Amino acid sequence: MRETISRLRQSFEEDCAAVTGSEDWKAVRDKYLAREGGLVTGALKKLRELPKEERPAFGQAMNALREFVEDRLDARLQAVKAGERDRKRPFVDVTRPGVPLAPGSAHPIKRLQAEIEEIFVSMGFEVLDLPEIERDYYNFEALNMPPNHPARDAQDTFYFDDATLLRTHCSSVQVHSMETRKPPIRAISTGKVYRRDPFDATHSPMFYQVDVIVVEEGLHMGHLKGMLDVFLKRVFHPGIKMRLRPGFFPFVEPGAEVDISCIFCSGKGCAKCKQSGWIEILGAGMVHPRVLEMSGIRDPRVTGFAWGMGIDRVAILKYGVDDIRLFFDNDLRFLNQF
Amino acid sequence: MKISMEWLREYVSLTESAETLKEELTMIGLLVEGVEPSATGPVLDIEVTSNRPDCLSHIGVAREVAALYGRRLEMPAVETEFEAASGEVPFGIEIRDPDLCPRYVGLLLDGVTVRESPEWMQRRLEAAGMRPLNNIVDITNYVLLETGHPLHAFDFDRLRGGKIVVGRAREGERMETLDGVGRSLDGQMLLINDGEGPVAIAGVMGGLDSEISPSTTRVLLEAAWFRPESIRRTSRRLGLSTEASYRFERGADWDNTVYSIARACRLIREIAGGRVAGSLKDVYPLKMEPPRIRLESAHIRQLLGVELDDGFVETTLERLGFRVGKEGGGGWDVACPPWRSDMQREADLIEELARFHGYQNIPAEFPPSRTAGAPSRVYALENSVREALAGQGYSEAVNLSFASPADHGEFLPPGGGERVAVANPLTEETEFLRSTLAAGLVRSAKRNFHAGRKRVCLFEIGKVYAPGADGTPGETNTLGVLGTGAFLERNWTSPEAEYGFFHLKGLLGVLFARLRIPSWETEPLRSCGWLSPADGAAVKVAGETVGVMGSLAPELEERYKLKQPVYLAELDLERLGRHAFAPIVYESLPKFPSADRDLSIVVGKEVAWGTIERGILSLGIRELAGIRLMDVYEGEKIPVGKASLSLRLTFLDRERTLTIDRVQDFMNTVLSFLNTNYGAGIRSL
Ligand SMILES: [Zn+2]
Repeated sequence: MRETISRLRQSFEEDCAAVTGSEDWKAVRDKYLAREGGLVTGALKKLRELPKEERPAFGQAMNALREFVEDRLDARLQAVKAGERDRKRPFVDVTRPGVPLAPGSAHPIKRLQAEIEEIFVSMGFEVLDLPEIERDYYNFEALNMPPNHPARDAQDTFYFDDATLLRTHCSSVQVHSMETRKPPIRAISTGKVYRRDPFDATHSPMFYQVDVIVVEEGLHMGHLKGMLDVFLKRVFHPGIKMRLRPGFFPFVEPGAEVDISCIFCSGKGCAKCKQSGWIEILGAGMVHPRVLEMSGIRDPRVTGFAWGMGIDRVAILKYGVDDIRLFFDNDLRFLNQF
Repeated sequence: MKISMEWLREYVSLTESAETLKEELTMIGLLVEGVEPSATGPVLDIEVTSNRPDCLSHIGVAREVAALYGRRLEMPAVETEFEAASGEVPFGIEIRDPDLCPRYVGLLLDGVTVRESPEWMQRRLEAAGMRPLNNIVDITNYVLLETGHPLHAFDFDRLRGGKIVVGRAREGERMETLDGVGRSLDGQMLLINDGEGPVAIAGVMGGLDSEISPSTTRVLLEAAWFRPESIRRTSRRLGLSTEASYRFERGADWDNTVYSIARACRLIREIAGGRVAGSLKDVYPLKMEPPRIRLESAHIRQLLGVELDDGFVETTLERLGFRVGKEGGGGWDVACPPWRSDMQREADLIEELARFHGYQNIPAEFPPSRTAGAPSRVYALENSVREALAGQGYSEAVNLSFASPADHGEFLPPGGGERVAVANPLTEETEFLRSTLAAGLVRSAKRNFHAGRKRVCLFEIGKVYAPGADGTPGETNTLGVLGTGAFLERNWTSPEAEYGFFHLKGLLGVLFARLRIPSWETEPLRSCGWLSPADGAAVKVAGETVGVMGSLAPELEERYKLKQPVYLAELDLERLGRHAFAPIVYESLPKFPSADRDLSIVVGKEVAWGTIERGILSLGIRELAGIRLMDVYEGEKIPVGKASLSLRLTFLDRERTLTIDRVQDFMNTVLSFLNTNYGAGIRSL
């Protein structure tokens, strides 16, 4: 009996191995498992002819054989089908180019502007939409730059008439926010600003800025440094170092110039940072008491800090762009790199 | 300001290297931009901020260095005897406008010999960036670079009437300045006159007639203090900035007048010979006092977040020339030195303390948050527009906000429009603010054509400008789109699909879907000059025109020498924003299948698709879920003047399965409507 089983198993294995297509496969299946005349099913039927004591052992062995045959056939069928699919599949040269859909892109400065706004919103700031055409009062006077103030020299201005101009910075967010809100205030304004600079590789009559104002009871210069540090690390990278040194802006006192460790040489000194290891990135300071007063903040316990930064300048540094005009030429070879 | 280290050592002992000094001065606010070699050794190039005119001199910088390292400031020796020993030569000083000139100091020297100045002085002047001329002029320049106070030297024998009169010019008065330029003056400019007429523009530049010459023997020295605003105004009106005006407009030290003239007197006697011939005259009609400021210890802590000890506060301020008197209540009475024109408030004093404590020594601390934060509504709108258009293969452009007169003539906004003129343009290109985005986008496309590109798809989000109702300039946030060339470039899978009007319209469809503006339409528009009359169209949302679209007008296509049609859209984002972001209300998915029916009709070409579509919708068939235009045919198979339109209507009943009979009923209703209203014939079913 045992011999019959092992012969049956051997012949099945040979037949199964010889299967190449689904037709062969069906023939083999029927040969062994057909209800009528299948070799395995037939052998099982002979169970009744055996003496009673031999039946359990033989039954067990036969069931094992049937399971084996079924499993093998399943596996073989998968392999056969896969082979048939392979043969039917057309040849595709996957190395040919895809359909030339245009990539589209956000402008590098606008994208940075959006990123910066998101950083500030996450730090509890409100984003104000302020006009580009501004009153002299908000752009200069209320920021402690009365007419004929020498600091106005640094911001050669486009005027429409004596009182109306194209904003030279977004710092008017200081006055606008304080006039319309009560402390605690955290606000920014971003967008285009204008100065009468001829268009060349490093100057543009139009560029982008972000200006920041925080006014609360008990703010001090340490807070300014703390927030600046977080902001600069997010805009550039977490390893960036910053340093503050005294600087002058009429609307802050004390005022600071803020440098970051040179991103080209990691502070070791190179041509881009004039060997100093530092790159000037923005101006900051504690809001000048006169600005607070003019904007209606009378509580002496309330202080504030502010900073302003050129977004184009960040783009130039981050992406290594060497000519500011490229940002406004709209050459797709440039735009599609971002 | 160029500061020679060798010269600086005259006033303060200095063992530090130029590099160390560069680093350490920068950290107290004197930004050293570079160190340059000179005949005197290293020269520091310091960028002095406009609030610190006191540092526009070697003594001023020496004072900072002395305070930084705790060293003594050594002031140079000056003349102390100003009385003419014998034979006093009379000269007069009269100030007519003390509001602009509160103090004028004069001294007359006789017997000077004008010649080259000594080599050491020439070297120092050159190191500081000045060209030596002759000993008298060089000495005034030397004292300027030393003490910071501008002096002027007149050839006394050229002064008519032997006197100086300080007063405002007459409107239209003229004089020739040292640089040989004839200047026309206005009635607000301050002049130095002699007995007969102008000899110098006060604080700006001397006159040619009274210039020191090789034959000069009598020299009248001037050291005055002029009102900064006045000097600044004059300097700007005349377009003339000098070493003197630069310092006066930032604020000179009125007490430095006598000292500087005494210093110059000493140098002249040493170098050019001569003696005091006319005693020192100090005309000082308006006495000036530097401010006294109360400084509170608590306020230092409040503003800087650090505790500074009283000793540090007092020493630092005293080294800088402040007089500090301790008062009760944890405060001081601080008298500011007259050279610190930037000192007005307590915060100014606190900055001095912060500078010398070191900004780097103030510990950083993230401020506790008490606000929630909010993006702007404009930001949400712009971001959605940007994502939608960039996602469709358009690249975001940014053009300058300006327009030239030519741009403005060519790209008038729909319905004409006033323009916003810049009062002080830089060039012709900046004479106006742009009134449309189209001009910039067309120029950008042209630039890309030059680079060999045919397919150009751009968009720009930015302001356009127009005068408001009251004539004041206003701005409107606007979206501009440009598409041209191939919608899809030719490639190995398909031929080129040429960009056309309906690609642009399809893009606007995507945009409006992203902005959740459910219905919008276009209608013919003839009033936009830069769009072609053939396909110029108004874009409307809920009956309101929000923008325009179409191809560039043929005459502009010609003017810009474009070889392919360019399609443009311009939408008012502020109006669009009011319709955008309808609340999202979920509609359950249909449980029953929908049924499509196709239909071809022949109508007169003049019947617009929009009219047909609106007509069918107006039938009020609730089950009509969609109408699509599948094909348009005009040609041999149909009569001239007619077009065949293929439509696909989709019907859906949300409650039950549609029967064929009901769908046929709907179709009959539609057909008879089309036939009655537009004389539509059915081509085939
Ligand atoms: Zn570097």
